[in-house]
Amino acid sequence: MIESKENGIFILAVDGNLDAEGTQAMEEKVLALLEAGETSLLFDFSQLDYINSSGLRVLVLAYQRLKKASGRVAICGIKDYIQEVFEVSGYDKIFPLFPDRNGAMTGM
Amino acid sequence: MTKHVTSFQMTNKMNCFKRFQPEVESFGLAHGLPPKSVFHLTLCLDELVTNIIDYGYADFDEHPIDVTITLDGSRVNIRIEDDAQPFNVLEAPDPELDVPLEDRLRPIGGMGIHLVKNMMDRIEYTRADGKNILMLQKNICNECCPQG
Repeated sequence: MIESKENGIFILAVDGNLDAEGTQAMEEKVLALLEAGETSLLFDFSQLDYINSSGLRVLVLAYQRLKKASGRVAICGIKDYIQEVFEVSGYDKIFPLFPDRNGAMTGM
Repeated sequence: MTKHVTSFQMTNKMNCFKRFQPEVESFGLAHGLPPKSVFHLTLCLDELVTNIIDYGYADFDEHPIDVTITLDGSRVNIRIEDDAQPFNVLEAPDPELDVPLEDRLRPIGGMGIHLVKNMMDRIEYTRADGKNILMLQKNICNECCPQG
């Protein structure tokens, strides 16, 4: 995971697999960021190869927490087969999905 | 005729993803399956095995989970056998996809099974001799067509 912050948006670039192990690491990171008061989160998934329903659950958790705080969550760079997971789960309607990071930074 | 079969055993005490992911990957590679199909097979195994481990056992013992993957023409069959409590995925309630996320009673519940039902073409459940036997079928040729 590579972290950065630009224009008030906290960017979390997640690579490899969001399997049980990877998801746990991401969940801990997200909870720490929410705890620290971050209100705009961008997940850069351009290097992400795998996600399951537990990974989606962490994104939903961030969404639900930040919605209450008038915050924002967006996702960029997902591969087409991962986009399908978002579509099947209906989460493509909840999370703004941007093709790349630049698009997300201007569109968020 | 060459039989395209791979079988392996895991237990509920293992990091199962690390065990089956390379198996599915090399099976897919050996038989030239499209990467997207390999992803679907991996995800479905992940969701189902995670479900078994998280909800299936009333004790703290080690339990075997047996997986067999077969390629039959353009069809991949996955058989999962476990001795967990009876659980029929076909009877599992669907997630409340039509309800806005914040109003759902179970915001994420059932999503894993929902993904499996969508990505597989056929699911068959049997309970026999104290075991859950789940047969999953995926048509690989579907992947080539845009409508698949």
